[in-house]
This record gives sequence, C-alpha cells and structure tokens, in this order.
Amino acid sequence: MGTLRPSGDREETFAAEALPLFRALYATARRLTGNVQDAEDLVQETYLRGFRAFDRFEPGTNLRAWLYSILHNARTDALRKRRPMRIVDEPVEDGPAQAPEQHQLGAELDLEKALARVPEVFREALILRDIEELSYEEIARALDIPIGTVMSRLYRGRAVLRQALQEPTV
Amino acid sequence: MSCQPELVTGYVDGALAVDERERIAAHLRDCAECRAQADQERMIRARLRELPPPEPRPGLENDLRAGLRRRRPGRLRVLLPLAAAALAIAVLWLRGSPAAVARVVVFDHVKCFRHERPPAHIFSHDASEVGSWFGNQGTSMPQFPARIAGLVLEGARYCPLLDGTSVAHVYYRDSHRHVSLFVIPRALRLETELTTNAFGRSVRLLGREDQTLAVVGESGDDVDKLSAALLTRSASVVR
Repeated sequence: MGTLRPSGDREETFAAEALPLFRALYATARRLTGNVQDAEDLVQETYLRGFRAFDRFEPGTNLRAWLYSILHNARTDALRKRRPMRIVDEPVEDGPAQAPEQHQLGAELDLEKALARVPEVFREALILRDIEELSYEEIARALDIPIGTVMSRLYRGRAVLRQALQEPTV
Repeated sequence: MSCQPELVTGYVDGALAVDERERIAAHLRDCAECRAQADQERMIRARLRELPPPEPRPGLENDLRAGLRRRRPGRLRVLLPLAAAALAIAVLWLRGSPAAVARVVVFDHVKCFRHERPPAHIFSHDASEVGSWFGNQGTSMPQFPARIAGLVLEGARYCPLLDGTSVAHVYYRDSHRHVSLFVIPRALRLETELTTNAFGRSVRLLGREDQTLAVVGESGDDVDKLSAALLTRSASVVR
C-alpha cells in the first residue's frame, strides 16, 4: 500500500494538493479530446482514479506529472471502449476539430487548430512538454515509454505541427 | 557526422547527455538544415508555451470537489468495522458468561427434546459405550450415570450451540421428563458452580479445569441429582 495516511485526512490532502491543478489537467484533456464533454469526463475520471490511488503517490515527487499519467491511462481506456462505436457512427479523425475559443487571437486560433490536427500520440507528447513543461523523464513515466521514444515523438509532433501551420486550415 | 534530427529535438529541449550535446552542437555549426530545424522547434515551443489554456466552465471545480466528496469513506465505512469489533468482543464476553451459556444450553435442550425421539448420533443406554464414543472423537467425558432419578440414558450427539461452540450433549428421559448433560470444551467465568433458571428450565453449571458441565432439566430435583452423581466419582457405577 505504500505510505499510509489516516483515511479522514486522505480526501482533504488529495483535494488540497490536486484540485488546484485542475485547470492544467482540463486544458490538456480538452486538447486531447477536442471537446468539452469528453474533457470534463476525462478530468473527473482522472481525479477519481487519483483519489483511489493516492496512497501510492510518493510525496515529494511531481503530483502534476503523476496526475498526467493517470489522465493518460484514463484516456487510453476511454478510447479503447469507444473506438468501435466511432467507426460505426462517424469517420475517425486523428485530431477532432477544436471549437474556436472566443478570446483567442487569430494566430493562437491557427496554432490551436494546427495542434488539433497532429495525431494524438504526438500531440500528447507536445502538450506535456511544450505546454505543461514536464521533463523527458516525467513524460516517459507518465506515458510509460522510454526516453528515446519521448524524443522521437516530440520530433515528429513538432514536424507535423510545423507542416500543419503552413497548410491552409480546412 | 550525418544529420540526426531526433537528437536535435533533444538538444533543443536540453535533454541530451553532455557528450551528445557537444556532438550535436558541433554538428549544428556545420549544418544549416539542422540549425533551421532547431530554430523552428524553438519557435514552436515558445508559441505553444504562450498559448492560452482552454478555460473550464465555472462550475467544474466544484463538481470535481463534490465528486471526490462522494467517494469519501462514509461514516458507515468507518463505523462498520468498529461495530464488528464490538460484536466480536461481545461474543467473546458472552462465551465466557455463565448466564449467557445457561440460556444457550437451555435453548438447545428444548430444541432437541422437542422431537419425539431426540436427534442423537448414538442411541445407547450404556454409559461407557456413549463415553467411549465421545472419547474416540477426542472429547474427554466425565463419568456419567446410565440412570438417574428414574430417567434413562437415551443417547448422545454433538450439538452446535448458538454461540458457535460444538458441545457434547447427552440425553436422559422418561415418559415426560427430560434432562440434558452438556460438556462445554472451555472454562467459564465461574467459581465452582452456578444454579440458575432460563426459559422455565433449571440449569446447573459445574466448572472444571478446561471444561464446563451443564445440566438442564424441567425439574430442579432431577438437575440436582444428576449434578451430584457427576460430582461423586462413583457416578459411573450407578446403572
């Protein structure tokens, strides 16, 4: 079980430490899923799983990175469940189109749209590194991949994004 | 050195080991193409870092908090183990309590004699036969009579009591009276003996080293006589 905490404190501690990170988790979830509903579900699921597994979190390590690994697993599970339905219902898109955010400027909007067109496997690495600024080690742990794979996903992700930025948006 | 674009990515991110970093730095001085890649990656990184995050709806944080609260171990999940522990202590206490045991054996006495013929495992009027039947199954029996106050040994069995104990139960009866001898395989909180009543039956508890004998009957007189016979060593020769 790892470090034991009194169960009464557990919820308090988890809520106090993890809830302030919800904006960052939501932003990542939103960029991964491409829509509000799935993003909210994903964040909710991430917090519930995190709460249940909080005994296994090592205090002193990066809680945000730990939550991203949970979010990644929850997203993988959700995709696994949903994929067959999507094939029937609608064509699968690599990056679902983003609904434009009102406050975004033109260039930002272009960048957000281009990012949405990067395949999710690369987009996820890009978000964790370039937006959330996790280290290669933290990304490797969160996604359960070798550091070399983190590097190659980032290389591919940035290359695809650069290309997407040059292409006219659909 | 040939171009290794993935290592250029690692270089831009400051994720390379010293020797590799120096190697890539040297390569970048010579290779305009890789230099351009590094510049573009830095530019993309900077732009992504500046990207404003999609804003969550205002109620989301509260919803998340409420979701966690619902998962909090409720009062019941804290109280149930406590209640179970209290019950276990109560059962242990009751198992050692003469008054509780008296009730439990009377209950079993009534249950067994409710039948026309008690549900014995061994039917015999022979005390030594019944005694050795128990002995073969690891229960050491006191010497008990085959007849007492006109009542005849009818048979015996192991009875599961309400408190979970399995006890030796010996039946005596005549046409309208019934007496039970129970051998309970543990000592109770008992000086030497206790006479009491439960559910209209008379009960005598006799403490021994690691056993308790319980005699139950409708008549206090019958209970007295069997108890006396058990206490006198000559009990076995009374036939």
